Amino acid sequence: MAGLGPARRRRASRLHPVRLGIFTLLCLLLSGFAGAAAYFFPVVVAGVGQTGQHIVVPPSDSPGVKVTPTPAASPGAPFTVLLLGSDDDSKFNADHVLTQSMILVRVEPATKHVTMLSIPRDLWVPLSTGGSAKIDAAYAYGGPAAAIATVERNFHVHVDEYAWVGLKGLIKLIDQLGGIDVFVTNPVLDDFYPDDIGGGFLYGYKRVAVLPGAQHLDGSHALQYVRSRHNDINGDFGRSARQQQVLIAMKAKASTLNAADLPDIVNALHGEFKTSMGLDRVRSLLSVASAFDLSNVRRIVLYVPAYSSYGQISGQSVILPHWAQILPIVRANFP
Amino acid sequence: MIVRRLAAIMFVPLMVAFGSGVYLYLGTLKSKVVKERAQLPPAAKAKSVLPGTMYVVQDGRLYRLNDGGFTEIGPAGDWSQPTLTPDHTHLIAVLRSAFFSDLYLLDLDGHVLKRLTKNDSRIIDANHWAFYPRVSPDGTTLFFGYDSPKNNGVDLSIWSMPLNGPQYQARRRTDPYYYTGGDVSPIPLAGAGLIFVRHSIDPSTAVHSQIVFQSRPGDWTGKPLTDLADDCSQPALSPDGTQLAMICTGGKQTARLEVAPFNGNALGPARVLLDAGLYASPAWSPDGRALAYFAPAGMAGHFQLWWLALPVAPTPSPAPSPMHSPSAGGEASSIVVPPPLPAAPVPVQVTQGVDLTATSAPAWY
Repeated sequence: MAGLGPARRRRASRLHPVRLGIFTLLCLLLSGFAGAAAYFFPVVVAGVGQTGQHIVVPPSDSPGVKVTPTPAASPGAPFTVLLLGSDDDSKFNADHVLTQSMILVRVEPATKHVTMLSIPRDLWVPLSTGGSAKIDAAYAYGGPAAAIATVERNFHVHVDEYAWVGLKGLIKLIDQLGGIDVFVTNPVLDDFYPDDIGGGFLYGYKRVAVLPGAQHLDGSHALQYVRSRHNDINGDFGRSARQQQVLIAMKAKASTLNAADLPDIVNALHGEFKTSMGLDRVRSLLSVASAFDLSNVRRIVLYVPAYSSYGQISGQSVILPHWAQILPIVRANFP
Repeated sequence: MIVRRLAAIMFVPLMVAFGSGVYLYLGTLKSKVVKERAQLPPAAKAKSVLPGTMYVVQDGRLYRLNDGGFTEIGPAGDWSQPTLTPDHTHLIAVLRSAFFSDLYLLDLDGHVLKRLTKNDSRIIDANHWAFYPRVSPDGTTLFFGYDSPKNNGVDLSIWSMPLNGPQYQARRRTDPYYYTGGDVSPIPLAGAGLIFVRHSIDPSTAVHSQIVFQSRPGDWTGKPLTDLADDCSQPALSPDGTQLAMICTGGKQTARLEVAPFNGNALGPARVLLDAGLYASPAWSPDGRALAYFAPAGMAGHFQLWWLALPVAPTPSPAPSPMHSPSAGGEASSIVVPPPLPAAPVPVQVTQGVDLTATSAPAWY
């Protein structure tokens, strides 16, 4: 260095234009990446915290039923998801809630076919945690693992994944989707609709009236539509059919979303959603949703009297399953 | 050296700005469905000008559409289902609260003139709903859907009362016991006849809607005008009383907009004007040559107002022989058969960017 003249030192201390360009580009890339990371940060947090929930399901004692979790299936392979919907207000301890909605969904990514089977919440079954009770209590006693094991053992089906959403999460999700369009087939009137969402007395009731016809429902009205059951002549079965209808409407609406919508969706579902599905499965689901076709959706409701009957056990109104009729239809649709 | 440090310091804000720009840019990539928020009708100029004056509802507010512009009328509240008196001098609309709804008489500017029903109670299940007001052609009787009596549940049945009389004079016209939600959408006819929509459940537990004709009070069974499997509802009678527009789903989640000739007690063969959409609440133009209805437009699925000019068809001729009719039990031989339409009508979108209440049929005169 001692031999360098002042002019050469000046040249050396100046950055070469190419290096300067590369340095500038790198800085911009870094800042751009930081901006994108900040944008998708809620998605990453949710992805870590709410998806890929690890659960250990006790081995099934039903013949032919595999133990969950199974080895990772190849991408594009069919899989079965147990959708769970719950009251999650302060009437219950966290994660000890009844599942008001239980829907088995078979997704076939290759053919874009979806089969939905609604399980009545009052179905009287042996629980995986011991004893017999309404099936909606399985989650309350043992969380998602117990809910899955109970469904697997009784329905002789293998459940690959589960997804749980709270009622408030459903409202926020539908609002985030901008509402849904449904054709309400009949007036849904209820004098004893639980008034437990907006705060106040948790055991109060209110009246709801959802009028028939095509309409655009926001989150709270959609919830009234899927939750009301006291005046439906089909009871919980009518409600199950409405839940499937709303699920289809949500899927139709979700197919118009893109990746940039994810942070808002995740914020809407904060604390109201969890799933065992990893990103691969979520991607498969999204691909089915984007190619959504109503004709590719099969809906099954286990109505009385074909698949079940009403009964009374320990003073509770329950639904007694007719397994001889239920299991063949489950086997045919959830291989 | 100082220059380089200064340059580096200047570069930091540039990076921050670029990173923020990326963040904001990603926000602009959100799908329209998430970004699209409905405007209130006065902020959205109608794309087409309809003849006459129409009343519609959005978010519990009553709007008058006239000369292509919307004006909000009426006091604050959760208003819905406006209907005109036959002389077009007054409106009757539903004002809904959390636990009950009542019918009100308003002038055409939305000023409340009279509360027609009183359905509130301090006991939750002693409250009542009143929906679907409609005035008889002679202007003396108010028909509406009302959830009484409450037998093992809440079902709407059709009631009628003198328009200028007290509610205790109301009488029940239909028996919805053990339906699924009950009877709605009354259309009183000249004389004592009544058209309404009955919801019922079949042995396979499927829920159906069916348009029913009741010839007189006390005719509890009525005569179905449409087949159970067609799932027709939301009837709208043309101003001259000879055609009935309706929405039929056939048990699907999409609907058809149909029009069928009506002879006073039976329907002729229905023509499908529109198929496979979420059509709702048809209403006839004052001259009977067009239909307005609601259907979603755009990704958000908000319901917009549309209209459909019905092609002028040659004079209908009497049916040569009894024909196949979708009308269940219809006396088809006395129905005039309209000739085929010359061309498929083309729907015209009237509003854009609003979110009209699709369960409140337009009142149009």
